[in-house]
Amino acid sequence: MTSQPAAVSPARDQYAKPLLTALLAGCAVALALGLYAKLHHPVPYALDIRGFSSPLYAKAWLTTVAIVFAIVQLASGWRVTRQPVPSARLGALHRWSGRIAIVLTVPVLIHCIYALGFGTYSIRVIAHSVLGCVFYGAFVAKMLSLVRRDSMPRWVLPVLGGVVFVSLIGLWATSALWLFTTKGVHS
Amino acid sequence: MTRRGPLVTLGAVIVVALIFLWANTLVAKPHSASASASASPWASAPATLIPVSSVGTAVHALYAGRSSGDQVTLAIAINGRKAAADLDAGLPSEVSLQGTVNGSQITMTASNGIGLDGSLSGVNMFGVITGFLGQSFPFSAAQAVVEAVYAGRSSGNQVTVAVVTDGGQAAAYVCNGRTIEAWLQGSVHGSQVSLSGLHGAGLTGTLSGLAMFGIVTPSSGLSFPFSAELSPRPAGVYQARIVVNGLATRIGWAVLPDGTQLGVTVAGTTRYAAPPLDLSDGSFTLDGASYHASSVAGNQTVVTP
Repeated sequence: MTSQPAAVSPARDQYAKPLLTALLAGCAVALALGLYAKLHHPVPYALDIRGFSSPLYAKAWLTTVAIVFAIVQLASGWRVTRQPVPSARLGALHRWSGRIAIVLTVPVLIHCIYALGFGTYSIRVIAHSVLGCVFYGAFVAKMLSLVRRDSMPRWVLPVLGGVVFVSLIGLWATSALWLFTTKGVHS
Repeated sequence: MTRRGPLVTLGAVIVVALIFLWANTLVAKPHSASASASASPWASAPATLIPVSSVGTAVHALYAGRSSGDQVTLAIAINGRKAAADLDAGLPSEVSLQGTVNGSQITMTASNGIGLDGSLSGVNMFGVITGFLGQSFPFSAAQAVVEAVYAGRSSGNQVTVAVVTDGGQAAAYVCNGRTIEAWLQGSVHGSQVSLSGLHGAGLTGTLSGLAMFGIVTPSSGLSFPFSAELSPRPAGVYQARIVVNGLATRIGWAVLPDGTQLGVTVAGTTRYAAPPLDLSDGSFTLDGASYHASSVAGNQTVVTP
């Protein structure tokens, strides 16, 4: 009678709430970043890193290094999901490659949002602006999902991790790759 | 089970972001140019231009001036966020300094302890040279008559603006890459920029440090606030006057320092997006034929009925 649905629904509710919270928080972050970038008046912001010819190149190289760590992230994440009990070293590699990658993108994010804003003047720029919002939204959703990892469906972390990785690759392709192919590869 | 690690990571990312924002408010804070009134007599003094060899790449603003007691002649070059200066006190060797520009503040040093602190105020720079010949020299310098390009966008990104100044004269091109475009011409008095064009078009701007802020009006009734930064080449205004299919055609481009270009082709009463301009040689292709565009100088006549 009613006992069967009652037995199923608590099991679903168990992860529905934390998952929903994480995803909505991610959406909120993406939306907030996009709105702020679009509405706030761009102001001069210095990202003059010694050794780079311009802030643009500093950003391109930061993103490129972040991509390298993101690939380590992807590879280690792939192996983490394959192992029933991931080794401590693999876990540490996965966490730290991700932490380094995300921190490397922060100065780039600040410069993009603060000095440039949400651009819509070309397909590349629109794609880059949207991907930027998606990237940090998915990152926040993934971090919040990790907090209650045991009460998440198994697919959540690989999917969110995949979105973070793919959006970062897209961000790099629409900025650093574009810069390197149009202006040359140098510092 | 609740884990704290991901929250710590998230918090750390936010903290790093806040540190970057906070650090920027420290370096980008505009400085009041208190020396502007007292130093003006020397700003107009004829200054000797010294070739600035310490700046390898394209210079896009050059200041020349003297110390208040006329002992030292100096030339200062600014290229983006980097600055360099040469000091000449009549000694056999010149002194070269290098440094950075943050907002309107310039800080330069040389290896032998000589320092230079300057503040940009409109087209003038005021500051002090320290530790040179055992003493300090207050100085003033005026932007030399060299071409400067200010390129930027309206705050809502509706139009791209490029202003080329040449001493007290300025020319500008504003467009949205499709239907809105205007050529503007006018003058620079101190830090005030005032340009006008046909059909009520105009631009009023204020030079502040390395940026220009103001209102641009591509045509009467259509005004946008804009900001433009002192920009290195290829930023600038480019134009081509050609005849296509028997129609006198004028094409204008406003190019930003990153190479982003927006242009409009005006053929008779028709307006459409300009073809991409090859910034390396100024060539472009329209309807299969190859043409050449030229870079517009600040003293050039661009507003013609």
